[in-house]
Amino acid sequence: MSTKGEVLIQVQNLQKKFGDNMVLDGISTEICKGEVVAIIGPSGSGKSTFLRSLNLLEIPTGGKILVEGVDITDPKVDIDKHRQKIGMVFQQFNLFPHKTVKENIMLAPVALKLMTQEEASRRAEELLARVGLPDKAEAYPGSLSGGQKQRIAIARALAMNPDVMLFDEPTSALDPEMVGEVLEIMKELALTGMTMVVVTHEMGFAREVANRVLFVDGGKIQEDREPGEFFSNPQNPRLKEFLSKVL
Amino acid sequence: MWENLQQEFYRFFVDNGASSWWINGVKTTILVTLLALVIGVILGGIVGMIRSIHQQTGKLKILNGISMVYLTIIRGTPSMIQILIFYSIVFASVSLNNIIIGGIAFGINSGAYVAEIIRSGIMSVDKGQTEAGRSLGLSSGQTMKMIILPQAVKNVLPALINEMIVLLKETAIIGYIGTVDITKAATLVQSRTYSAFVPLISAAVFYLVLVMLLTYFMGKVERRMRRSEH
Repeated sequence: MSTKGEVLIQVQNLQKKFGDNMVLDGISTEICKGEVVAIIGPSGSGKSTFLRSLNLLEIPTGGKILVEGVDITDPKVDIDKHRQKIGMVFQQFNLFPHKTVKENIMLAPVALKLMTQEEASRRAEELLARVGLPDKAEAYPGSLSGGQKQRIAIARALAMNPDVMLFDEPTSALDPEMVGEVLEIMKELALTGMTMVVVTHEMGFAREVANRVLFVDGGKIQEDREPGEFFSNPQNPRLKEFLSKVL
Repeated sequence: MWENLQQEFYRFFVDNGASSWWINGVKTTILVTLLALVIGVILGGIVGMIRSIHQQTGKLKILNGISMVYLTIIRGTPSMIQILIFYSIVFASVSLNNIIIGGIAFGINSGAYVAEIIRSGIMSVDKGQTEAGRSLGLSSGQTMKMIILPQAVKNVLPALINEMIVLLKETAIIGYIGTVDITKAATLVQSRTYSAFVPLISAAVFYLVLVMLLTYFMGKVERRMRRSEH
């Protein structure tokens, strides 16, 4: 979809241990500007933990994560500053239920003094139009469907003008008929050149939209290839087994 | 008949200083309660936050330790003893108005209960809310103030209102440090008139009206906070 740009995120030998349980067992990879990387794997494989490490929602127990050259695992780094540039969309949406849709989108840019109230309001309206929900500005999240909530959550993350968007199983909590509308927004986002890292069970999305697909199992990247080859000619035996179950 | 009723009213509510006891009594009960409410909510809010941040992240060890000592002592001793300690020991050498001493003592007492209510409120907010706030780049303080606390307070508002009602009625023991509140006014009138019925029932009615006013006002606050649930 887009040509390979400069390296945005560089992950070096990333490890995460929960007690004796090695969830991430030395992951190394690079994510370039404009790339859409899909991460698939069985549950418990560590794929969500890997994604959540990229903005330090999980603190790694080893290795480095360089974002634009800065090691964000260094405790001296101001992680809040970095997170402003790393958007995140969650499986459970996590919209703020006590705020209207528009307030959800405006909250962070205004609180962090990146935009004035008016600028944030204009940006929110722009984003609401982009996700197809301009009439929901004054609604509260409680009155929205799952698909609508997730589209608002995407708009909220985009309001910060992030350099990269992380998606943690964004369609897994949705009713089947709502999966399409969310994937459609994500597809459009990919077409604008946004760098995206997507943990997903939607093989169709991985095949059509991603530039690269990673198969994670046992806390390691088992396969890392462009989607055509990945799905038509899988090499790793565990990937073969996994694909035979899900396709 | 009418004459008789008027005479009785004067006997219980006006004569021999009765009117000033009742007026001062109601004023004192209201002032002590308001002061204690403000102190209790602020103190309880801070201690509740410290405790839940410690519980969730393991940080603030020393502050959490101090909070635990505070909660243990306040909840483990009678409020009657606490107010006597404040009056006769803590503020013994300072000339402070009894209403202020009472407000501080009841506020510190109520803060312990408010703290646990706030803590349970914070713990009831989904962890995903914190993650959403932090992932947008908000600091932990901003996330607490703008995202977690408003939801936490809304969730525990019925329990908080309950604690406020308990506090209002608990101030009835302030007569023990020589302050005339509603209860003390009633017993004073009773001892002057040698009649228990009217003064005690009147005191009960005064408390009931105050509790109903408080409940009405807090009910409005609660409805306003619930407007996001359509």
